[in-house]
Formats: sequence, C-alpha cells, structure tokens
Amino acid sequence: MSKRKMFLRMITASLLRRRSRMLIALLSIAVGATILAGLVTIYYDVPRQMSAQFRNYGANMILLPEGDSQMARSEVDKALALIPEGALVGATPYRYVRLDMVSRQLSFTSAGTDFEQVQKTSPYFHINGRYPEGEREVMLGKEIADQLGMKLGRTMELTYQPGDTAADEDPSGDWVPGAVLSGSAEGWQNAMVYVTAELDGDAKIAALTVDASLQTEEFGGRTATDEAFLNQFIGKSLPLQEGDVDALSGATVTSGAIVRSLNTARRATGATESRRTFSVVGILETGGEEEQYIYMSLPELEALTGESGRLDVMELSVQAEDTETLQGYADTLSQGSDSLRARLVKRVTRSETTVLGKLQSLVFLVTAVVLLLTMISVSTTMMAVVTERRREIGLRKALGASDSSIRVEFLGEGMFLGLLGGILGALLGFAFAQVVSVNVFGSSITFQWLLLPVTVIVCMAIAAVSCLMPIKKAVEIDPALVLKGE
Amino acid sequence: MSLLEIKNVSKIYGELKALDNVSIHVDQGEWVAIMGPSGSGKSTMMNIIGCMDKPTMGEVLLDGVDISKESSKKLTEIRRDKIGLIFQQFHMVNYLTAVENIMVSQYYHSLPDEKEALDALERVGLRERAHHLPSQLSGGEQQRVCVARALINHPELILADEPTGNLDEANENIVLDLFAQLHREGTTLIVVTHDPEVADAAQRTIVLEHGRVAREVINENFQD
Repeated sequence: MSKRKMFLRMITASLLRRRSRMLIALLSIAVGATILAGLVTIYYDVPRQMSAQFRNYGANMILLPEGDSQMARSEVDKALALIPEGALVGATPYRYVRLDMVSRQLSFTSAGTDFEQVQKTSPYFHINGRYPEGEREVMLGKEIADQLGMKLGRTMELTYQPGDTAADEDPSGDWVPGAVLSGSAEGWQNAMVYVTAELDGDAKIAALTVDASLQTEEFGGRTATDEAFLNQFIGKSLPLQEGDVDALSGATVTSGAIVRSLNTARRATGATESRRTFSVVGILETGGEEEQYIYMSLPELEALTGESGRLDVMELSVQAEDTETLQGYADTLSQGSDSLRARLVKRVTRSETTVLGKLQSLVFLVTAVVLLLTMISVSTTMMAVVTERRREIGLRKALGASDSSIRVEFLGEGMFLGLLGGILGALLGFAFAQVVSVNVFGSSITFQWLLLPVTVIVCMAIAAVSCLMPIKKAVEIDPALVLKGE
Repeated sequence: MSLLEIKNVSKIYGELKALDNVSIHVDQGEWVAIMGPSGSGKSTMMNIIGCMDKPTMGEVLLDGVDISKESSKKLTEIRRDKIGLIFQQFHMVNYLTAVENIMVSQYYHSLPDEKEALDALERVGLRERAHHLPSQLSGGEQQRVCVARALINHPELILADEPTGNLDEANENIVLDLFAQLHREGTTLIVVTHDPEVADAAQRTIVLEHGRVAREVINENFQD
C-alpha cells in the first residue's frame, strides 16, 4: 500500500469514525460556503437581474432620425437586426402628428404607436381603462382628458389637416348650404360649450351636436341630450335671432352659449382633411409629459394622415450587462445607418450602474465577514480537536511521526473538511441564491458550474488557514508527557 | 556486545535529581527489567532510552550512537528506526482498526503493508480481530495489538513501560509469553515495571531507588 493511500485511509477514518466533532467543523465550513456561494451567485446574477429590473423603468435607448425628417420603418427594422437576439426586450415605434378636435377648436399632438410594445418599453404606464385594441379607439393623456372633461367611453372626433385653413373675420360667409359648422362659447362659470351643426341645402340647420361636458352635468349638461331643446334649432337659419329658441330651464347660461357659438360658428370642413370619431378606452397617467398626448395605434394614425412607414422615434429596451455593452450596441446602431442615430437614455443607465456598484460592495463586505467568522469557527473547532487528540498526536510522534507528518495530517484533515464543506456549501448556496432570486427578483437563476471549484478552493484555503494555529499546538505536544501512565 | 550503554547519566529537574549518575548497559538480545517504586526514576529512564527525553549529564549510546546530544528531530528518526514502544495505557488511535493501528507504525517507518500487519496480528493471536476498533477490543487484546505494532518494523529494541499494569493475570501471561518468544528470536527487551512477577520473567533486573541503581539481580531461573 502506498503512503498516500494510507494517508487518505487515516484521514477518512478520522472524519467518518469521529463524526460528532467533525460534523461541527464540517457544518461551520458548509454554512460559510453556503453564504459564500449564495452571495457570489447573487453577486454575479444580480447585474443581470437588476438589468432586467431596470427595464421596468422604461426604455434605455432611443433611435432618432439624423436630421429633421422622419425615419423610414424599413431602415429602423434593418438597424434593429444589429442588436443580438434576446437582448432586445422591446421596441416601440412612435409617430407624432398634430390632430385637431374641430368641435373644440383645439389641436393636440397625437402619437401613433404599437401598444403591445409600449407595455414592454414603458411598463410603468398606469392606465385607467385599457390600452386601445380595436379600431377607432384612443387613449388620452390625463392632462388632455382633464382639459376636455373626457371620460372613458365617450367619443371624440379628430381631424387631420395637412395645411392651415384661412379664417375669415365674418363667419357668415361660411354659412353656406351643406356646410358643417363648429363653434364654441363660454357657458356657466366660463366653461366652454362646443357645437357642431350641419346645414341643409337652404343653409338651415339640419343637425346639431352639442358638447356640454364641461358644464354642470345635471344643469347645463342636459342641453346636449334634451331632444325637445335641440329640436328647436332644426330648420332655423343663422344667425339665430332672439326668441328663435327657448332656453332649457335650469340651463339658461348654457343655452345662451349654444346660441352664441352657433352664431360665430365657422365651416369645419377643409378640402384635404380627414376625420374620424374615436372612442376613449383608456386614460394614461404617468405624471410626466406623456400625459399631453393622444395615443392611437400606428395603423389608425397612418390611415388618418394617409402616409405610412415613417417614424419619429423608436424607443428601445435593451438588456445589457453594463453601460459599456449598451453603449456598444448604440454605437453599432448609429454606425449601421446614415439616417439614424441611437442614444442611451442616461438617467436609467447611470442609476443602474450606481446601484449595482453599491450592492456589489455590500455583498463583498458580507462575504468577507462571513468567511472570517467561518475561519474563527473552524479554527476553534480544530483547536478543540487537537486538545481532544493530544494522546493520539503524542502516540504518533512516539511511533516516529516527524513534525511535518503531523502538520500534513492535520492540514489534510482540514482541507478534506474544506472539500466536503465546499461541495455541500456550493449546492446549498445555489439553493439559497435561487430562493433569494425567486423571492426578490421573481426569476430563477442557472447554476454556474465554475462556482463549484471556486467555492471548494476557497473553503479548502480557509480550512487550511484555520488549521495553522491548531497545527502549531499539535506539533508542540511532547509525547513523553501525554503518554505517561497514570 | 552492548546495544545500550548508559554512562554516568543524570537528569535534573530544578532541585530534583530524577536520575543521579546512573550507569547501566544492555546487551544485544538481552531481556532486562528495570524495577523500582514510583519516584525512583523509572519513567525518566524509560523516556531517555526511548529517545523522548535527553539527560542533563552523561552519555547514552544506543547501537553505538550517542543519543544524549542529538536534536529532537534526529531522536525521532532513531526512535522510529530502532525502538518499538509498548505503553501501560496501550495507546491506540481510537478511530483506526487494529490492523490500521499497526499500519500507522509502518506508515511512519517506511511503507504500510496490510499483509505484513495482518501477519503480525496473527502472531499475537488476533488475526480475526484485525478489523475491530480499539473500543471493541478488551484491554488484553489491545495490548497484544500494541505488541504487534511494536515489533512490526523489526526494531533493535523493544521498550515496554508497565506493559501489564492494566491487565489481568491471564492477559499478563499472554503478553509475557509473547515477550519470551521475541526474546528467543533475538530481540532486545527492556521492560520497565514495578511488578516483581514481570521482572522475574526477565533475564536480569536493574532496581532503581531514588534515581540511582540500587542493585542488579540476575534471574537464575531464567529459561530460554
């Protein structure tokens, strides 16, 4: 039998047949290793996790056109193909167009987008109602909804006018047969009332729509729905004279405002304009400038404007280990196309790096403390082991063991414990990291095989260092003293 | 020819003279008992012969080499190569089996050889107990394992300290028989004891008193 085989036989016998004492040492190493492996796993996995978490705070990169014009959709798609598969979490197109709400003589910026992607690049969007899904549906920014007094389920007509229509001082020129008129006037407590009227072939009012949603609902608001009141206007010609219409009882101010707005109403139709009526299905609350837009699907907007395939901005959510990688992607995109440039959204990426840096130094500190505690614990246990085995050590010396043999044997036992504790700890640590990851980040992690040898080596090194003092004590044992008969 | 020659050896601990100018010699192949009451210097003598301690004064020649001035590292080597030790308390590694305990001695000396170790157990009549732990062996059996361990490396000298002190009479006789057998094979034996019966088994008895050699007795009845 070789010496090495006997050495292993002695060490394993010592560990296996002296279980209780060795279990304590093994346990302290395993606990240390568990925390080490767990924290290291989290340490390496957290950037990935955090990166994914930070995606929740919105797009971290945007694609913009080089110059003033829009980007071609085809060009954008070509550029996106440059980002590695899997790294692109979401890509949301935006086309911004000015749309008029003729009835109110207001115009708003309207954004055509892809709502499925919006949920990926802007997961923090808080929607009252829902995202538009079907045709003729819009989502309003909260500011606009408040301004218009719009509620979910209401409808609104939006008009796209490619150019400006000249406005005449005297509205009477617009009161021509067949015209559609719109106007507004201040009603109760200066709140606006809006009207739209269609004229028949004799330039008499054929149909009237009143938007009194800013008026008190149970008083002025009734003017929009009270058929008897509205029917009085049918067949009348403009301008209306006093006595043509009786005011609705309890809504005299609003009634007067309707008359005034009709008298100042202008033709609402232009030659190339197009219009559509949309129902409001969602109201967007973000607390930011996103509340100033009207959102609709990109195809819907393109149908209104009659032009397609052009985008103003593309918001991207890209997953990357660090800012450098992300910047690398942005550079690739910018260099890949003459008409586009990619920019990082600085706020998100920078905070990501800062938080990670702090977190990682915390993990490092905790790991160092845990390893120190493990070392103290193992050292104490080994010290007790040496005291317990004084006779055995003395006997070994009497049988001819040199000091270095004694050192090697104890170091061997310690490192064997480190090996077992390390393997145990690496596995438990992974389980620990998995639990943390699932509970904190809500996602699982994959086992890093490199973790096993690293943990084992660290544990063996720690066990070896922990054994230094006990070994010194073991070597100093005088066989003549400990072996003496009672 | 002398295997061990102790010349004018003294061992002084502060005021106490544990050994006071002692001179003895042991021939190759001789079986000698060192006797004396407690405090007579037996243990000190045992430690010096066993290379576990050094005299304050005097010379100790073991196999022609003066071990009184050697370094402790050198003493360990000499002990390993030339001396087989047997203790009153047996002293086995408690988590190793009988045969493994013998192999530990081989391990430090040269190379472990399980077959040889089993043969040694056979010789002390414990072949079938080879794979038992010390806790599963009786005191007598443990001491027989220790005898086997002491002789496994074919030492020049077997040094036994009260080898039968913890044994009953039956086991004492077994151990003494083993010693007699070793003696017949030419092994030099030094047995430190305070038991006259054990001393009587030896060829010659050196009696120590107050750290001095009080007398030497040749055993007339000794039979090979």
